Amino acid sequence: MGNIMSTSFAPECTEKKTKYDDCFNKWYTEKFLQGKSMENECVQLWDDYITCVNSALASHQIKPILDKARQDQPFTSEEIDSAIAPKK
Amino acid sequence: MVQIYKNEHIYPHDFKTVSLAYLNRYPNPYAKHVLSIDTLDTHVDNNGNLVITKLMVKTGPLPMFIKPFLGSNLNSWILEKTIINPQTKRLMTYSANIDHRKFIKVEEFLYYSEIDEYSTQLKSKVKFSSNLIGFKQRIEDWSKHRFASNIEKSRHGLTFVMNELKKQKVYWYEK
Repeated sequence: MGNIMSTSFAPECTEKKTKYDDCFNKWYTEKFLQGKSMENECVQLWDDYITCVNSALASHQIKPILDKARQDQPFTSEEIDSAIAPKK
Repeated sequence: MVQIYKNEHIYPHDFKTVSLAYLNRYPNPYAKHVLSIDTLDTHVDNNGNLVITKLMVKTGPLPMFIKPFLGSNLNSWILEKTIINPQTKRLMTYSANIDHRKFIKVEEFLYYSEIDEYSTQLKSKVKFSSNLIGFKQRIEDWSKHRFASNIEKSRHGLTFVMNELKKQKVYWYEK
């Protein structure tokens, strides 16, 4: 967005992230929101990006806390809904 | 006692613009405290909702009374889950810091819904809870106050991104 790049926590993944984000944004607006596609089509770019992120996370001190948080917080749409949605 | 902050706002844009801006809201000049943002998972669930999990690193000043324990600045990791329903044009999100929870846990619920093609409503609710004995009340009050005074910035940030998107017209179908 603009002149500043959206950065990954791992600098070596930022370029891969930007490529994936561009592809995702295009798919999101031109296909997903219009009901034309339910499959994220940026598979190859995603694989490159997430492989980079996962290998950076693997040795990071945040990893155990992150794994636990992702398990502890399934936060389904129903849960978020009941916490914030306007009462019917 | 846990502190709760609630707020409502209407953005003069359609859901497509607001939701795309939300997903791309960092970086922006009003969010210099956000150091990085990564996507950890994206999938479409059985109900046709797009589910996205993101991991952010934010930094921020700490209150004077806590500096002896944690220093003057604190980096914090935040996990965010966003659920987007393209039919009902609603975006819901839940985010919370995953580290430093003894000091403060901030849980944010956001609910964006399209009113019409010119406006989208945001309802937000934030919960502040601290477990730091002796400082609990002061930390919760401080966090809530800080959050309330920063909400204007986050609106400016999202508006900035929406304007940028419109200028670039990259992902747009012109009406």
